Amino acid sequence: MKKLKKLLTSKFFITIVWVVMLIAVWELFAFHVENIKRTPENVQPHLSGIVDSLTSDRKINGSQTALQMVIENAKATLTRAGIGYIIGIASGFLLALFMSLSKIVEKTSFPYLMLIQLIPILGMAPIINAITGDIAKSRIIIAAILTFYPVATNTLAGFKSVQREKHELMYSYAANKFQIYTKTMIPACIPYFFTGLKISAPMAITASILVDTLQGGIGLGCLLSQSLKGAMTRYVFWDIVFFSAVIGILSFYIMGIIEIMMCPYRRTGKR
Amino acid sequence: MIFIVLFCFISFPEQRNINELKGTISMIEHERNDIEIMLDNVGMVYDSADGKEVTALTSVTMDIHKGEFISLLGPSGCGKTTLLRIIADLIHPTSGNVLIGGVSPKDARLKRRYGMVFQSATLYDWRTVIKNIELPLEITHCPKKERHERAMKMLDLVGLSDFADHYPRQLSGGMQQRVGIARALALQPEILLMDEPFSALDEFTREKLHVDLLKIWRKTNKTIIFVTHNIQESVFLSDRICVLSPHPGRLSAIIDVDLPRPRTMDIKDTPEFTALVSKVRNSFEGV
Repeated sequence: MKKLKKLLTSKFFITIVWVVMLIAVWELFAFHVENIKRTPENVQPHLSGIVDSLTSDRKINGSQTALQMVIENAKATLTRAGIGYIIGIASGFLLALFMSLSKIVEKTSFPYLMLIQLIPILGMAPIINAITGDIAKSRIIIAAILTFYPVATNTLAGFKSVQREKHELMYSYAANKFQIYTKTMIPACIPYFFTGLKISAPMAITASILVDTLQGGIGLGCLLSQSLKGAMTRYVFWDIVFFSAVIGILSFYIMGIIEIMMCPYRRTGKR
Repeated sequence: MIFIVLFCFISFPEQRNINELKGTISMIEHERNDIEIMLDNVGMVYDSADGKEVTALTSVTMDIHKGEFISLLGPSGCGKTTLLRIIADLIHPTSGNVLIGGVSPKDARLKRRYGMVFQSATLYDWRTVIKNIELPLEITHCPKKERHERAMKMLDLVGLSDFADHYPRQLSGGMQQRVGIARALALQPEILLMDEPFSALDEFTREKLHVDLLKIWRKTNKTIIFVTHNIQESVFLSDRICVLSPHPGRLSAIIDVDLPRPRTMDIKDTPEFTALVSKVRNSFEGV
C-alpha cells in the first residue's frame, strides 16, 4: 500500500499520467474534427499523421523532406535565439550589477524596465526592424530584449537576498568592494540568476519564432507562415508546433542541468 | 634663531588640543593597565521614522581588560547589541569615545582585530566547511597552502576536523555555529564579538557549546564580548557581567563573577552559582 502511494506521488508517474491524458484528449478531438471537417489537418490532425509527416521521405519542396526542412530552419532560428539570449543575459546581469552598485541607477531604471515587458513583441519588432534595417539583426535583438528583463530582475533580487550579517562579516574583514562582490554577492545570486535564465530561455525561442513570421527568409517562423498560407502541406505547420514546444521545454531543463552542475552545494545531503 | 626656538616653546603647549592630550594619557594608561577596550561616556541616539529621537544607549563608561570574558546582559531594547555594534564599528556612537587597544574602532577593524559571531551561523552555503573558514584568509590574500593549514588548525580547535569537506546544510545547528566561531578566529583577532550566538540552539546543544567555548577561550586567550539575554549563560561563561537596563538603555551594574575556573557543568548546581544568578537578576532596573 505504501509502495503504491509512493509510486502514485512520484514525479515520473505524474508526468506519464499527464502525457497520456494530453494524448487522449488530443486524439478525442482529432476524431471529432475528422467527422465534421473535410480537411481535418487544418484544425487538428491525428498525432499519427504528424509523426508520419516527420518520418516520411517524401520531398515537399523538391529537394528536402519535412524533417530536413524543419531542422534546417530551426538551426537558423535557434542560432538567432541563442545569440540574442546570450546578449540578453550579459546585459541583464550587468544592469543588475550596476543597479546593486548604485542606488541612483536602480531608482532611475528599475521601475521603467517593466515597460519593456508590456510592449507586445509584434509591436516592437517593426520598430526595431526600422532602426536596424536588417530583419536578422532585429530578430536577435528582440530575443535579447525578452531575455534581458527576467535575468536583470532575478539577478537583482539575488543581490538583495544577501543577509545583512554577510555584509557585516565582509565589513569586519575590511573587504573591498571587489571582494564583497566576488566572494559574497555574485555567488549568492547564482540560484536567482538561473531562475531568470530558466524563465527566459523558452521566451527567447518563442519570440524568435514569432518575429520570424514577420518577414521571409530562413527560420522556423517563416516556414510556419508559408505552411499556414498553403505553400506546402499543413503538416509542416504541426511539425514546427511540436518541435518548438519540445525545444522550449528542453531549453528550460538544460538550464536546470547547468545550474545543478554549477551549484554542487544545492544537491548534496539532507536539507 | 633663538627667537624662533623660544617662540615654539611658548606656543606649542597652547596649540595642543586638550582632547588630544587626554587621548595620549589614556593610551599610556592602556599600555600599563592591560586595557583592551575603553568605553568613555558612550551614547547612541537614533532618529526614528516619525522624526522623534530615540535614545538607545546613554553614557556607558567601562574598561575591558585583555583576555577578559565579558557578557553584555539585558532584555531586548536595552542597547546591548547597539553597544556591541559600536565596538565593532558597524555604527558610530552619537556621543562619547571608544578606544580599542588605543585606536578608534575603525582602525581596529581595518587592522582586523575583531572576529564576529552572529546569532545565525551566517555560513556561505556554497562553500564547504573548510572553505568557509578560509574565506577571511582569502580576503587578506593569505597564500593558499598556509590558508588551508590555518583553517584546518581552527577546525581542529572547534573539534570538527572530520567535517572539513561537508557543506553547511549537512551540519547540525550547533556544528554550524562552531564553524562560525572557527571562521571568526581564523584571522587571529584579539577580540571576539559574539552577538547572541547560541540563542537559536536547543538547551542541550547550548550547554555543550558553553563548555566548548570556554575551552577555546582558554586555549586562545581572546578578549570575548558576549551579548546575551540569558542570565545563567552569562554567569556560567563570564568574568564580569555588564547588566544593561532599558528605557533608556544604560549600564545599570557590573557584576564580578568569581567562580573558579576551569568551569564545568557541575558548577551550575552550586549555591554560589545560584546566588550570583539571583544577584544579577536583582540588579535590573525598570524591566
